Formats: sequence, structure tokens, C-alpha cells
Amino acid sequence: MALFSELRRRNVLKVALLYALGSLVVLWIVGGSLNWLGAPVWANEFVLLVLALGFPVALIFAWAYEITPSGLKKSLDVDQTQSIVFKTGQKLNAAMAVLAVLGVLALVGERLLPTFELPKIIEPILLPPVYEEPDAEGVPAEIRAHTLGNGLRIIVWPDHDIPNVVMYNFVRAGARNEYPGITGLSHFFEHMMFNGTKRREQGEFDETMEAAGGSNNAYTSEDLTVYMDWFPRSAIETIFDLEADRLHHLAIDPEVVESERGVVYSERRSGVDNDNDGMLNEQLMATAFVAHPYQIPVIGWPSDIENWSQQDLESYFRRYYAPNNLTMVFTGDVDAREIFAMAKRYFGPIPSQPPPKPVTTVEPEQQGERRLLIEAEAQAPLIHMAFHAGSATDPETLPLSVLLNILVGDDSSRLHQQLVENEQVALAIGGFQMEGLDPGLVYFYLTLPPGADTDDVENRLFSALDRVAEEGITEAELQKARNIMIADYWRSLSTINGKAAALGRAEVFFGDYQQAFSLPDDLAAVTAAEIQQAAANVFRRANMTVGVLRSPDAGDEE
Amino acid sequence: MNRLTGLLAALALALPVSAGADDVTLPAAERVVLENGTVVILSENHDVPLIGLEALVRGGAASDPDEKYGLASLVAGLLERGAGERSAVEFAEAVAAVGGELNASAGLESLSVSADFMSKDADLMVELVAEMLQRPQLKRAEFTKLRDRSINLLKAAKGSDPSNLMPAYANAFLFGDHPYGNPVGGSESSLAKISHGDALAYYQNMIGGDRLIISVSGDFELAAMREALTTAFGEWRAAAEPLPDIAAAVAVPGARVLLIDKPGATQSYFRIGNIGVAESYPKRAELELANTVFGGRFTSMLMTELRTKSGLSYGARSSVARYTQPGSVFISSFTETSTTVEAIEVAISTLGQLRDNGLDDAMIVSARNYVMGQFPPRLETAAQLAGVFAMLEAVGLDASYINNYGASLAAATGESIAAVIDEVYPTPDNLVFVVLGDAELIRDQLAAYGPVTELSISEPRFHP
Repeated sequence: MALFSELRRRNVLKVALLYALGSLVVLWIVGGSLNWLGAPVWANEFVLLVLALGFPVALIFAWAYEITPSGLKKSLDVDQTQSIVFKTGQKLNAAMAVLAVLGVLALVGERLLPTFELPKIIEPILLPPVYEEPDAEGVPAEIRAHTLGNGLRIIVWPDHDIPNVVMYNFVRAGARNEYPGITGLSHFFEHMMFNGTKRREQGEFDETMEAAGGSNNAYTSEDLTVYMDWFPRSAIETIFDLEADRLHHLAIDPEVVESERGVVYSERRSGVDNDNDGMLNEQLMATAFVAHPYQIPVIGWPSDIENWSQQDLESYFRRYYAPNNLTMVFTGDVDAREIFAMAKRYFGPIPSQPPPKPVTTVEPEQQGERRLLIEAEAQAPLIHMAFHAGSATDPETLPLSVLLNILVGDDSSRLHQQLVENEQVALAIGGFQMEGLDPGLVYFYLTLPPGADTDDVENRLFSALDRVAEEGITEAELQKARNIMIADYWRSLSTINGKAAALGRAEVFFGDYQQAFSLPDDLAAVTAAEIQQAAANVFRRANMTVGVLRSPDAGDEE
Repeated sequence: MNRLTGLLAALALALPVSAGADDVTLPAAERVVLENGTVVILSENHDVPLIGLEALVRGGAASDPDEKYGLASLVAGLLERGAGERSAVEFAEAVAAVGGELNASAGLESLSVSADFMSKDADLMVELVAEMLQRPQLKRAEFTKLRDRSINLLKAAKGSDPSNLMPAYANAFLFGDHPYGNPVGGSESSLAKISHGDALAYYQNMIGGDRLIISVSGDFELAAMREALTTAFGEWRAAAEPLPDIAAAVAVPGARVLLIDKPGATQSYFRIGNIGVAESYPKRAELELANTVFGGRFTSMLMTELRTKSGLSYGARSSVARYTQPGSVFISSFTETSTTVEAIEVAISTLGQLRDNGLDDAMIVSARNYVMGQFPPRLETAAQLAGVFAMLEAVGLDASYINNYGASLAAATGESIAAVIDEVYPTPDNLVFVVLGDAELIRDQLAAYGPVTELSISEPRFHP
């Protein structure tokens, strides 16, 4: 206690407190100006280090010396009756009060003036950021994840093999978030995001990125809109600037909207109107789903492409492009702390929004087989056959994915061997599973030789699927599928692009990027019995939609 | 729905014309020439447990006999359909059982086998590649099945996105009877003329160790792999016949039009161009910069005019194909039927702009950064590296081509680029037009460009 009261008497405690407050002010000023000066990211940390080293020095000094009317003296040399430590203490109190008032004013100012940004260095000190490290087994230890205050989730996987970086931005907005009148709007935004901001003209986004050595692309699906940038390390800051600008200050110029409708129409003509598979797929999806918005084509129905209003666009952007609705992944030649610091600087000021309305519609159980026939100019008839199945997280999804590999995965697969090589009733067969946020489809597509009997081929296909439900698969088939999927998994992780795609997919569909690394274990656990059971649940006529496309005169030949 | 599919595969040709950044260097590689002339290139890298292999046999579709287009492609397909003791299905099973990837295909001037296996399966990979090249079964039943399926797949392609058919139509019209006009996969009518005997003869005459390049990259021991490849390929016989000489095609002056009629098409697809330059063309860096700016990236002049400014099209690009002899230079795009001529006019005037104005300094810097910045990911995987080493060897270049590419790009000036543009890109009055669309609606307008030759999409051939 004697020591403590002596510390108090000699003003050491007050000096400590004042030093801390003063340091905050220094960091504040320095932190704000370093960004303008273009100082490196570690400059803030350097200033912090200097201040921290100065702290014990200041305390020792306060203990050992004392201010007297005749100047600075060693405490031991000062006559206690002549000591003015009390007066000095009062001055220290006053200084602290001034600093405290300034601090309160700044905080209030930040609230009142939305453009005023709290200098970046303050928050990490008051609230040290959490850079999450992986905790699951088999996950590369260098991966870091972090969520900004506005809800933006960022995952970083450093990999220094090549001097390049990949960025993926997953926007939780796709055709499933649309409804009649705005179908295709998610995809249209994928275009508008490149068409100018309040600070940059149309075209400037791409010009700036390409001049810095970067390229980009984007795609829209039923579930997501995904933006990708591929760039050299030297372009990192440019990319942050460009990405933050379009998220924060997108311009939705009515003239550009009109011109872009033409571009989207052109894309629709290529992918649907002039492509038989595209046409059949669009109609089949609209038939298989009667309630759930997976019935909506990603490109949009033509009349909606023509009729979106400015207000549709603005409210859609505000709701779905809010930071709390995004997940960003960076892989390649980066440092995680550097990415998080830049993300905070560039994306931190973008305000969060109320979360979008969840999609609650559940597709009701299908009540019997559905069929559609398209008559179009086609030398080769097409058959698409789809069955309702689960979402990405459904326990039957992986067994079905393994089964698809066994059925149509490669030239040695069951259905390719049966229908293409042996019976020669099809020219090609493929298949996929949607694996989305909501229950989707297991989907097969076949190209048939000219003049083929589509009913016959359809029956052969269904019987082959039914046979899996009845008899299951062999252990050898299961093992082969596992080996193919494991090798593909390694191939996908051998590029920084594949790494970014895998982390983002796991985070968005499974809620945890670490799920990207569970495939080897999950595959080992899949059994032939599970696969047979899943096949029995899914491959039922009452659960099936079949689409046939053939030329109008095809029926007359027989 | 991609924002843009495939635009960046801009310079279509048998060699990575694109290029190295300052700090991009190819990894060290060992080059060995076996006694039979086979060239082996090995490059070791243990980052990921994968091995990539690329085997190139010089020749390819340009050496298809007259009227039998697609023969090289059929033979490539047959190599996968049974070899050594393994039947077609057993061969496919052997690959799939270990999760490997193995494909054979024909290009215009080579036949290639690409493999990508886990490193533990290296022995099997070498065995399978050796068997398919040296001991293919070439069974008649497999031949007939493959030929008939290829014919039917071409019929099916005529109901799919017509962009896929445009290169075959355009090359056939531009090159005519010259071997570079051969459709690589054949046409319905040319495939029908090919017999099993033709395939056997082609294999004997045109495929052999004297014209083979094998490049392997990835996770293996160099000495062991050299030994394995030497044993597997060192004694393979030479092909019975020499590679045919290919003469340089000469650009036809003036303008001419091929119109492919697809009744009911809501969109017109077009290619406009002429004969370009050969692989040996020395000003590669200048050409790459020019084509990047003209039609090789999203902000290219063609994309800006045809998509961004006018909304006429979803995509537009330019490609420069270079082979042993001069290949093609093409602008390609598509648009709604009613704006066909408007879009073609924009394309031609953009070509005029390129020829008249060249590239300014800002464009040159931007294109250089772009080419250099996009290069490293093309050398990222074992399979990519194996492919790059094989292609460098095939066109007679060494690693310094890539290692010095940054310097070559930096040395390009506005003047040297302007000279290249003048040499390589056709003048607006010497153009070949290939347009696929609803002929009834565009026939008369197209006649203004030059004499029109018509071909129905249902005709079983690509040559008019």
C-alpha cells in the first residue's frame, strides 16, 4: 500500500493515464494522415510500437523526477514540504479532461456526420479485431477469416507460388430472390456493376483494372451473383478501390440501362433462342418447379428484361449489395493482415442494411410425372430428365453426387457405356446436381442421333436409374468414383483460382469455409447402401420431369 | 450466365503467343533427344502431388488427305479406344480407376495427348500413353462407331450455339483448298468418305517417334522419369511418310461474302478477316499488344464499340492464328438479325481506326501491364507447364522466349506497333466476310460488300 500511495503522490498513475490518452490522440492523427501519405500498411503498427516502448520510460521518469518551481529535479532531492506534486497533479487532471472532451466530441461528430470516418487505428486498439484461425483438422493453418463491423465477411488464403492474386465476391442474390416482373434482375446487375459509378464513367472500371494488369469476369446462378478479379500483386490497392467504389457509389444511369438491355437480349438469343439445349433447359426448369423461384430463368423472361424500372434496380441494389450480404475471398500472393487492413479502410465505411427477406417458399411434393415437348428445327433430338432432390447441405446430396459420377462421370461410366457405346442410342449423355441453397434437381441431358425414337431412349434411361434404386452399385464403382472425385479435388486446389472458388462455395453454401477440406473424409464415409437409398428416394416417376426437343416432322417418320 | 465467356482465349493458335512478365521465368527443364528423334522435356516440381504430360505428334488435320477432312481427328479418337491388351472400355476404366485424365485430340498441325495423373500413378500414366501411341488396337467396330457418332454430333451442333461452327465455315471460305481450310473435326460429308483402311494407313504413315515431343511436368524424380520415357518411347518406329509440305496461302484481294442460311435464326454471327502471318513472324510482342488493344480483352476497341457503347452485341473479339505458314486474322461477333449490317459497319470502321491511328502511349502501357499481369496464372499447374514446354519445342522456341518476353513487350513502341498493324491486319477493302443467319432477311444487304456465295446450314459440309 505504501508503494501505491507513493505512486499516487508522485503522479505516476496520472502520468500513465495521460500517456495512454495522449498516445491515442497521436495514433489517431497519425493513422488518419498515413493513409493520405500512402504509407505502407505496417506504418500504424510501427507508431504503436514506438509509443509502447515509450510508456515504461515515461513512468520511470515520472517516478524518479519531479517538477519544482526551480525546474526538474530528482524526486529524492526534493524537500517533501516544498513539493508541488499536488499542483502538478491538478494540471495533469486538466489535461486529461481536455483530451476526454475532445474524444467525446469526435465520437459524437462521427455519429452526426456520416462522411467523417473514425481514424482507422482507434478501433483496433479499443476493440482488437478477431482474425479467425482454422480450428478443424486438415485445414491449412495459414487461412484467416474476419468479419468487418458492417457484416462483410472476408476469407484469405495466402499462397506465394505466383505473384498473382484472385478475388471472389459472392453476393447472395440470384434468380431465387426474384419474382414476376423482375426476373433476370440479378443477372442484369451482374452487367450493371461494370457500367459506371458516381466517380467513374462507364468503362472506367475495366480500363483501370486492365491497365493495372488485372482482368475480371462474373456469373449469376439461381443462388448467387459472383464477381471475380485476377490480378498481379502490384494491383491490390487498385482492386480494393475499384470494388469499394462500385459497392458504395454505383451509378444506375437510365441511358446505360437501356443500352445494357440490348446486351442482355443478345446474350439471351445466344444462350436460349439459338441453342436447343438452352431452350429445353429453360422450359424444363419452369415445369419442374411450380412454386419455388428456381422456376425462373437466370437470364430472365423477355418481357421482364424490357420492363424493369429504375426503382426496381435501385431497391434491389440497396438490399442485396449491402456488405452484410457479401462474402469475399482472397487467395494468392497476399498477407492476411494486409488484406484485412485494406478491407477495413475501403469497405468499412459502406453501411450495412437490413438483411434481405428470406426465401421461404418450399416446392411442394411433386404429384405425378410431368412432361413437355418442344418442336424446333433440330436434326438431333434432345432429352432432358430431372428429379427433385435436396439442397447443398442435404445428407443425400453427396451420395447422389457420387452416384452421378458413377452414372455419367466419364467414358467408363455406366450410362455412357450403356447408351452411347453399347446400345448406341445416344450421342452423348451428361448430368449434374444443383446443390444450391434450396432443394434442387438431379438432372440428365442426352443428345440423340437423328431420327432416334425418343420414347425408347427415355425408357432405357429411366430403367437404368430404376435399376440403381433396385440393385444398388458395386464397391468397385464406388471406389472408382471416390478416386476420380479426390483427384479432381486436388486439381481444383492446385490453382489460386480453384482455392478461392472452393473456400467461397463452402462458406456460402455450408456456412463454414473449412468445409472445403472435408471432402476426402466425407467421401470415405459414403456407403453403397446410402447411395442406393438416395436413388430409391429420388428416381421415381412421380418425382420426374421429362423434356423432349425434336423437329416437328420427327413424329411423322414412323 | 457468364458476363463473358471465353473472350480471353484471344490469340487462338498453337503456341502461347502471350507472354511473360518481368519476373516470370519458366522453371528449369531438361531436354533430351532420343535415338529415334523423339524429344523429351522434363521439369520437376513437387508443390502438388500431380503430374501433367503433353505429347505432340507433328502433323494434324492440315495433313488430312483431300476431301477426307477429319481423318487425323478420328485417329486421335481411336487411340483412346483400345490399346495394347486393353479394350476401349478397359482403357477408360484404367484411367478412371485412379482418377486420371487422359485425352487425345487433333489440332491443325499436331495430334496431341494430354494426361494429368496423381504422382503415385506415374508409371501407369507412362504405360497408357505409350500403349495408345504405339500399340493402338484401331478396331474396325470402334472406328465405325466413332465416325458415325462424329457425323451425328455435327448434325446436333447445327442446333446448338452457331458460334461453335463459325471457325470451320470461316477457315473453309478463307483458305479454300489450302490445308488450313480443312475443318479439324471434319464435315458430315468428308467423314462419310473415310474408311477404316484410311485410318490404319494414316496411323502407319503419319504417326511415329520421329515427330514426337513428350513434355512432362510436376511431382516426379527426374532421372526415373527420363529412364521410363526412354524405355517406353526410345525404340518406337518412325512414321512411314514424310510430313507434307504446306505452301503459304496468299490473301485474295478484294471482298467476298459467304452467307450460311439458318432459317429462323434471330441473330447473325459473323467473321471478317483475311490471311495473317506465320509462327516465324518476328514481331510477336508488338502483335500481342496490338491484338490485346484491338480485340483481345474486355475494354478492347471492338468490345467498346460493339458492346459497351452500342449494345449491339454481347461480345466481339479479334484473333490472330499463326501456324508454320501464315494463318488467319479474324474479327468475330454476333448481333440481332435486324442490326447485322450496322454491326458489320462498326466492326469495319473499328478496323479502320486501328490501322489509321495505331496505339497511343497510354494504350501501350495498359496492354503491356495487362499481358504481363495475366501471364503467371498460365504457368501455374503441372499440366499447363507441360503444355507450354511442348508447344515451345513444336514451334522451335526455347525458354528465353518466355523469360525475355517482358523485355520484348517493354521494347515495343508506337512506331514498331504501327508497322506490325499495317503488315498483319487487312485493309478494309480486302476482306472476307462469313455471315451465318436468316439469309432471306440479310441477303440483299450483304451483296453490297461483294459477291455472295450461299450455303444452307443443313448442307453436310463447311466448304461452299
